[in-house]
Amino acid sequence: MKYGPLLFLGILFTLASSWVGLVLAPKQQLGGLVPNVSTNALGAVVLYPQARKGEAQQGEEHYRSLGCVYCHSQQVRPEGFGSDITRGWGKRRTVSRDYLYDKPVMLGTSRTGPDLTNIGERQSDSGWHFAHLYNPQITSKGSVMPPYPFLFQLRKIGPGGASTNALKLSGEFAVAEGWEVVPKDSARQLVEYLRSLKTSVDLPEAPLPKVQEGAAK
Amino acid sequence: MNVLAILMIGGVLAVPGVALVALRWASHRGELNLPERAALLPFDEEEPVGRATDQILNRQSAES
Amino acid sequence: MSASSQTFSALLPGDVSDDSSKRALLAEIDASCRVPVLFFVISGLLWLLAGTALALVASIKLHSPGFLASWEFLTFGRVRPAHLNTVIYGFASQTGIGVTLWLMCRLCRVPFVAPGLATVAAIFWNIGLTVGVVGILIGDSTSIEWLELPRYSTPILFFSYVLVAVWAIITFRLRREQHLYVSQWYLLAAILWFPWLYATAQIMLLIEPVRGVVQAAVNWWFAHNVLGLWFTPIGLASIYYFIPKVIGRPIHSYYLSVLGFWSLALFYNWNGLHHLIGGPMPAWMITVSIVASVMMLIPVTTVAINHHMTMWGHFGKLKHSPTLRFVVVGALCYTATSLQGIANSLRSYSEVVHFTHHTIAHAHLGLYGFFAMVMFGSLYYIIPRITQREWPSLGLISLHFWACFLGLALYVVPLSLGGILQGLAMNDASVPFLKVVEGTLPWLKLRTFAGLLLGLGHVAFVGNLVWLLARVFGPYRKPVVAILMGAETAAVVGK
Repeated sequence: MKYGPLLFLGILFTLASSWVGLVLAPKQQLGGLVPNVSTNALGAVVLYPQARKGEAQQGEEHYRSLGCVYCHSQQVRPEGFGSDITRGWGKRRTVSRDYLYDKPVMLGTSRTGPDLTNIGERQSDSGWHFAHLYNPQITSKGSVMPPYPFLFQLRKIGPGGASTNALKLSGEFAVAEGWEVVPKDSARQLVEYLRSLKTSVDLPEAPLPKVQEGAAK
Repeated sequence: MNVLAILMIGGVLAVPGVALVALRWASHRGELNLPERAALLPFDEEEPVGRATDQILNRQSAES
Repeated sequence: MSASSQTFSALLPGDVSDDSSKRALLAEIDASCRVPVLFFVISGLLWLLAGTALALVASIKLHSPGFLASWEFLTFGRVRPAHLNTVIYGFASQTGIGVTLWLMCRLCRVPFVAPGLATVAAIFWNIGLTVGVVGILIGDSTSIEWLELPRYSTPILFFSYVLVAVWAIITFRLRREQHLYVSQWYLLAAILWFPWLYATAQIMLLIEPVRGVVQAAVNWWFAHNVLGLWFTPIGLASIYYFIPKVIGRPIHSYYLSVLGFWSLALFYNWNGLHHLIGGPMPAWMITVSIVASVMMLIPVTTVAINHHMTMWGHFGKLKHSPTLRFVVVGALCYTATSLQGIANSLRSYSEVVHFTHHTIAHAHLGLYGFFAMVMFGSLYYIIPRITQREWPSLGLISLHFWACFLGLALYVVPLSLGGILQGLAMNDASVPFLKVVEGTLPWLKLRTFAGLLLGLGHVAFVGNLVWLLARVFGPYRKPVVAILMGAETAAVVGK
């Protein structure tokens, strides 16, 4: 009795089953998903979602590289399942189609910080984002998010006066007289990415709730 | 999509079918006759059943 | 002694030749394992120290965000994946491979084949991992959980892994003992499952990424299976070997172990997508994973009953054997973490705990409480035998055990509870988010303290090992405590 061949076959068959079921089947079912086509009020064709371009696309790389995903999810659970929608993290649940162009898809598994699926809608002000990234305590006292001072440059105010994009810092966060804090390219790109995060689009498989849709118009 | 459906249904029928044949073959060859004595494989004459090993902590109390 | 060995010969007739060649074989096998096994194990433990340091930095940052905040490479989002990858691919995988090599040689009854091949594999593994972890710290992390090592480092790891697998298959083919023990099924399965998982994940996520949420499906199919089909089988193989070996009693029921193995093989690999409950996936994928997760009750209870019944009447030996202590705690944690995991996979429970620190506690109960503890226990057994040296300090062994045991309890129990409270608060939309964050702080601080205890245990272990290795290069001294002999012999020597 050697048991070897049977063992070998069993080992391969068992894993093959879930490889077909949980890898190939999802690829078959979802791999061919295409953007939703609709027409807006002016009659123009609108595609959703769209691939990110320019600074927002570069910002996605910083989001990945800095590991934001370890504390922030990007998924809205359905109405009645958790408080995602009542907390205002989204108007509708997110569905497979929302993530067509994410590279990589960063759904996240932890909400040490709030969900960011729609942070672009909740907070479209770049100034807020810059202050928050420079030191989260400025905008959210008591947050455990780390500050990201390395995304900013501390520099002497030039002869032409303070830069227009310099952070408005006061109180305990103020820098020395004659100095200013300005966002580096990386901070600007990251903020553009964050501002691009929005999913409040009506989809056949995930319609926006009627009341809020009316309110939005 | 139809091709996929055929493949899936075919797979659902084929995999257990192959598994049944394999099990039958194995059973005929006696591969399934598991002797309880296989449980003795970690032991040998040097370290036989009944002899504890690795008894190194708290020796005093062990010898008393 | 002679009576029991006669019984044994009667049970395995004609299996081996004379008494003297058998004795020589066991010592020969152990000695032949020395270089490759030690190489894997020592590298693994150095990664453990690095991983512990990274873990402490990450843990402190979660309650004191200003800690080391000005260095980009030490930001939380990089230290955390660096910690995960050093402990998973550095410590757990390499130590696991070291233990696997030794168990394979012992159970196949063959001296180590081609030790050079395995040592080269270990060298490449460490090169690949170093490149990868540095890559994460400088910003090349993929941000795909459990697969953060950048694309340019993973082929080196995979190449190294292929060498290990080739070695294992050669050893398996050359085995002198035709019968397979339950540990060998698990080891063989782990060795064949891992490359399939890793290759699939690498190809579909990093080399030629699939589109959209298919990535999430592949990601969690992989990440959950690394636990269940790579670490779990190696851990269970060790438990199935060391409990009987230390207490000198065969496993309670060999049939139950067969049931446990095949039910694990059937159900575990379908579990992964329960990580996406509530997520943007078709419901059937998640449901099928929940069903499979509940089916895990079969292998888990089977294995738990089998181990418990084997230990029955022998719990007194826990007092004397470091191996048994660690391995039994590991076996208990396996049962606990599996039951917790089944609960986590239910929709109603997941709704509360899914995005909380509860999951982190669960992961540590599994990988640390179960796997790392079993590996520590195995190493306490293996290292004296392959180096022919005793552990220099029994005090350090006790310190290691109690620091890790207490650290583990203080880590897992409060953080699991804290996670549930965090989840309940988060699901109550009237609680502002910053209040939820505030509520987690005491648990997170306690976690840092627990981490310090674990670190203390690791330093004690590595210190003891360094001390032992220092003696390897010194003159051979006759064992004082006589680990290398059985308890009976040791008692005789004592008199």
